[in-house]
Amino acid sequence: MHLVIAKVDEVLFEGEAHSLTVPGTAGEMTVLGEHMPLITTLKAGELRVHLTVHDEPKIFPVEKGVLEVRRDGATVIL
Amino acid sequence: MALKQIKSKILAMKKSQTVTKAMEAVSAAKMRKSQLKALNGRAYAKAAVSVLSRVSGSRLFSSLPLTTERSVTAALYIVITSDKGLAGALNSGVLRTAVADIQASGLKKDVVSIIAVGKKASDFFERRGFHVVHHANTDHISSEFIDTVVRQAIQRFLLGAVDLVKIAYPNLISTFEQRPTMRTILPLTLGELQKVVSDIVPARGVATSALVESTKKVVQSYSLEPSEEEILEMILPKLVSIFVYHALLESQASEHSARMVAMKSASDKAGEMQESLTLKFNKVRQAAITREVSEITGGMEAMAS
Repeated sequence: MHLVIAKVDEVLFEGEAHSLTVPGTAGEMTVLGEHMPLITTLKAGELRVHLTVHDEPKIFPVEKGVLEVRRDGATVIL
Repeated sequence: MALKQIKSKILAMKKSQTVTKAMEAVSAAKMRKSQLKALNGRAYAKAAVSVLSRVSGSRLFSSLPLTTERSVTAALYIVITSDKGLAGALNSGVLRTAVADIQASGLKKDVVSIIAVGKKASDFFERRGFHVVHHANTDHISSEFIDTVVRQAIQRFLLGAVDLVKIAYPNLISTFEQRPTMRTILPLTLGELQKVVSDIVPARGVATSALVESTKKVVQSYSLEPSEEEILEMILPKLVSIFVYHALLESQASEHSARMVAMKSASDKAGEMQESLTLKFNKVRQAAITREVSEITGGMEAMAS
């Protein structure tokens, strides 16, 4: 899926990713491709992005933010 | 005028032309950089607007504290200018717009507070006895800085210290035209928001069409977690940051374009001056030579007779 992680003044990540794990306000959740459309708020924690199934995840700290999942990808704004 | 004086004037012109030319080149480079930065900020604006467009249809949107209009007894103005001058009428335009708006609102000086970004703005408002609550220079715009400004604005608004937050900045229409712009950022309204988004999607730039298309895309049905209200509460302050960040970027790009144009005309003018001075120099020199020659021939004539 196409993933964008952006702060107001910079884009932290943009590209294809296998999965994204976020600290949602309602609990941690992992988003894979073809996930149902969803908007959720995030609480403090870390975002983990897997580019492929078994690689080391890229980690981005998050204070709060919003995750939007569409059929064709996901966007996190911090 | 003596030859020597003219010569030194020509030299001085040459020197100032070198300086203005250098400043022009520097501004051109900085302008490109700030436009690139503006492009980078679009991903965020795009995402925030698309999230908002899913949730803004509801009645809830206009009933939140940040979106409720109140009668205005005190106002906060965020005024953005550059730190340095030499940029044509850029700063004075913004300052004039802000002052005109304050006067039009009928508010007295003591209920108007100012957040001044840029040295020109803070000097201007302090000299006129306005209450400047926060001022900063523009040289490093970071997300922390935006956060501080936005947090201050939101806090004041929520506490009821101010009922209106407006932002004044120069909007970049093209390299040759910057228009002083005034926007209401709190209370947030959908109309104002659309205006800002259409500013972010200007006629220029590469990413324009992509952004327009994505905001027009058919709305899919989303599941919202935990609730619409909480998402709105999270996203509204972010929209305010987008307003402010966008204004800062526009202001920077405007500053550099305005300075580039100002410096270009200064260089041109210096060139013209050099030409006319050189012409004058040659005329004076020619006159001196003619005089000397006629003196010599006159002397010879006198000796011969």
